[in-house]
Amino acid sequence: MPPQRIIKEGPAPGIVVSLSLMMLFCVAVSLFFFSGQSLRLDEAQSLWQSGRDPGSILAVIAQDVHVPFYHLLLHFWRLFVGDSISSARLMSLVFYVLSIPALYFLGRLAYSRPVGVFAALLFALSPFMNWYGSEIRMYTLFTFLVILNQYFYVRLMVGRASEHVWIGYALTAILGVFTHYFFFLNLGGQALFYFLRRDLFPKESLRYFVGIALIIAAVFLPWVWYVGTQGTIGYQNPALPTPTTVNLFSTFSQFLFGFQSDHLNTFFLSLWPIVLMLGLLTLRKHARLTPQAEYFTISVLAAVIVAFVASFIVPIFVSRYLIFTIPSLYLLLASIIDIYTPRFAKNVRLAFVLLMLVMLGSEVASSSTPVKEDYHAAVSYINENIAPQDILVASAPFTIYPIEYYYRGPAPITTLPQWDRYRFGPIPAFDESQLPQQVETLAGEHQNLWLLLSYDQGYEERIRLYFDTHYERLMIKNFSPGLNLYVYKLRYDTPLSRESSR
Amino acid sequence: MSNNDLYYPNPRKDFLKTESPQSLFILNAVMAAVYFTVLLFLPPGNKFLFALLIAGEVFHVWQVLTFLYSVWETDYRPPSRRLGQDAPGVDVFITVAGEPIEIVEETVDAARKMYYPNFKVHILNDGKVANKENWRDIEALGARLGVNVITRTVAGGAKAGNINNGLRFTSNPLVAIFDADHVPHPHFLARTVPYFTDWKVGFVQTPQFYKNFATNYLTRSSWEQQELFFGPICKGKNRLNAATMCGTNMVINRHALLEVGGMNTESIAEDFITGLLMHNKGYRSVYVPEVLAEGLATEDLLSYSKQQFRWARGALDVIFRYNPLFMRGLTWAQRIQYLASASFFLSGAVVAIDALLPLIYFYTGEVPVHVSGMILAAVFLPYLFLTLYTIQRTCNFTFTFPSLGFSIGAFNIHLRALWAALSRQRSAFSITPKQAAKGNFLPLVKWHIAYIGAAVVGVPYSIWREGFSASLINNIAWALVVIVTFLPIIRTALPEDQKETRAARRPIPYTDPTLGPRSYAPAKNN
Repeated sequence: MPPQRIIKEGPAPGIVVSLSLMMLFCVAVSLFFFSGQSLRLDEAQSLWQSGRDPGSILAVIAQDVHVPFYHLLLHFWRLFVGDSISSARLMSLVFYVLSIPALYFLGRLAYSRPVGVFAALLFALSPFMNWYGSEIRMYTLFTFLVILNQYFYVRLMVGRASEHVWIGYALTAILGVFTHYFFFLNLGGQALFYFLRRDLFPKESLRYFVGIALIIAAVFLPWVWYVGTQGTIGYQNPALPTPTTVNLFSTFSQFLFGFQSDHLNTFFLSLWPIVLMLGLLTLRKHARLTPQAEYFTISVLAAVIVAFVASFIVPIFVSRYLIFTIPSLYLLLASIIDIYTPRFAKNVRLAFVLLMLVMLGSEVASSSTPVKEDYHAAVSYINENIAPQDILVASAPFTIYPIEYYYRGPAPITTLPQWDRYRFGPIPAFDESQLPQQVETLAGEHQNLWLLLSYDQGYEERIRLYFDTHYERLMIKNFSPGLNLYVYKLRYDTPLSRESSR
Repeated sequence: MSNNDLYYPNPRKDFLKTESPQSLFILNAVMAAVYFTVLLFLPPGNKFLFALLIAGEVFHVWQVLTFLYSVWETDYRPPSRRLGQDAPGVDVFITVAGEPIEIVEETVDAARKMYYPNFKVHILNDGKVANKENWRDIEALGARLGVNVITRTVAGGAKAGNINNGLRFTSNPLVAIFDADHVPHPHFLARTVPYFTDWKVGFVQTPQFYKNFATNYLTRSSWEQQELFFGPICKGKNRLNAATMCGTNMVINRHALLEVGGMNTESIAEDFITGLLMHNKGYRSVYVPEVLAEGLATEDLLSYSKQQFRWARGALDVIFRYNPLFMRGLTWAQRIQYLASASFFLSGAVVAIDALLPLIYFYTGEVPVHVSGMILAAVFLPYLFLTLYTIQRTCNFTFTFPSLGFSIGAFNIHLRALWAALSRQRSAFSITPKQAAKGNFLPLVKWHIAYIGAAVVGVPYSIWREGFSASLINNIAWALVVIVTFLPIIRTALPEDQKETRAARRPIPYTDPTLGPRSYAPAKNN
């Protein structure tokens, strides 16, 4: 292992300014472009879950696919900072912005100042990170904790272990596993690397790592037991498809260029031989794969491969769950570019910066950005137009969260299949044979049915077809990718005529 | 130290610090098998193109597997003995055919000063039969330095004929051979002769180091190509008793050489074939992984092309004329090793196939496989990067993109050699020039430039035909990869690159820190 240059002093003034500008950039992007966006399904769920008392939060999170640290933190954040969407999003922004200098320090420790700065710059420009920097979810907290945890791990690797480092490592690991289940993949990657490169670590490290693993097990097992007693893990969440190799590569494409339209995403994926070219160009004299690069490679690949393979048993492959690999990916990218000849490296860096900026702009501005969920616009439209004798039906059922957040209309609201989320148990499964009866029940005395379809769970088209073939469709309106409003005429008589006929 | 410094901490030793991570080799072989299997089961597009693609990939997988087999263990060193008063006599041959007198003088002078008790230096002067003006100067040089000059008067057999002629006028049991520009280190004989432990050792080969490697981009790149071969590959061949005879910086058992009829004069790669014939007769070979002589790399693209053609033409003779599969005296390991080395020069055809696939798509829309999704990328990228990492690990991270680019970019030379070998054309032996030629070398890369032109025209045509499709974008990316790998060789054809680089002025001194003047012990195993 090459000797480490130990940088004890703080960052140079130029770097402080650079990092500050990066942080400001992220704040500005969030304030000017993302803060005005509609509440999305996941965000609404977070608000709904964290709006309860801590005991109830534990109960609802245990029934979800997540762990409770973020929601508890959000609960108290809302108490102290405010209960608006903006203030809830601010918490994610804080962790995102804090991650930028954290990543710089990790890069500086693992490689060099320039690598740290460029990785931090990529992180600040990242369309993917900026998206989650303004989302009321645990992903930026998760990423922040992973960066800190990796910082301590790399310190151990480069022979700079101390009690503080071990404590920092243990603490971030414990908080991490209570932030997202996928934090275990981060720890798994570290364990794999430790197994392969045991020689890089202090002699007594095995004892410490085992001790920390036992502590994590001791604090986490009660949660596992608690979730087990709830017995309903994941029933409220969207069904995930089994991933394909396109999903696998789309994840990396999203990590670099954010959420883009299908056309743009296909364009990026089709360019995959360029990865080969950029790899070949790193073949330079004595450009070795350092232990740090080995570690970050394992950190990224092990997590992605495990999630991908595991998804053939239980579908869990979602790019946002793997967000914690982004710091490692950007550090690897920055260090690889550093291998090139200075002039070429400069051009590649410039190309990445420009491309990411353009893609960030595209993600913000494009109406075809696939993750955009404009429930605000949809429900605002409904609020203005729905009548008391109408009924609003949401499907899939869990989309009730963001709809309900905005809905102020006079008509009743329900879901299809019908679901009472205050009752214990899973969301009822869709049964096509029951559909006519369910619709008849819903229709009742109502005049028009406003059907808001989003988050297709495999039966959206059948619901739409049923209504199309049984009722007169009055209008259709699209608000964002996959979010469509249909209005159907349920009956032609009026309440007045019905009254008189009786 | 920054990664961005092209840095040669110890150019004479770095490439010899090889490594054999066998678990990585196994993983690499498995990945190769997985990749090939997946490729085989992809739905074919155009069946002819699919067959070509599969043939090319069979070749690539063969290359990877034989490479892994070669470098499986690189630390083996054959037995040697300590030399005493019984040190066998050595005739040192310096083959000359018109090289500049100062270059020859440096080599002869260094040969005279070798630390060894029993040797005699001979200049094998071929200048007269080669119609070189300075052949009399060589004779005068020999007289001045007090070494024997054997001037040939009857032409034939090129360098091999010159050596065979030298054998007739000398008698020592061992023969050391140096090209005119390959300056031996003082302890060359002391390091190599001890490996002649018995009469069954046929030859001992040492690396062909280029002391002028830092002169320009071409010398640097061609040396970097050599590093992989003289590093892990040759070290690995040692264990399989399949060292490659390279024609210079070597010591040969005279008896063995005479038994195979002297240096082979039938092929322009006389050394390679002679080594093969010696192995076939049951003689052993040794590779000493230590720079013990220093020569000159070709400094211009024309000379490089000629040298590559000679190597390729000679190596392909092994496949088409001296096929080791049918040589009963060889072990299977030796057969595989010779085929692996020789088949490298078939890569020209495979490069051409792979490079043409995007062009064929641009102009016809035909593809070898119909890949939906990213399955090909999912198996190809890990396989390829793992292979590159394996190569880098084995050769101490000395493999570079320019060396890869030169191997790929020489496809037209290899194709020409393949055609010459298939059509049994006689190819004249040409001595590698020792000084840079001047001139316009762009015609040497006309195929590469034509490729770029065809791609530039083909892309808009393809867009006009079908618009921007995923397949088109993918093929544009592939064409770009091919073009980028052609750039190193195109660069050396440009007039600007013929100027000496700054690195050339940086001295790369040779010092001999380890040996005293009377030590004949072989180096310890690495």
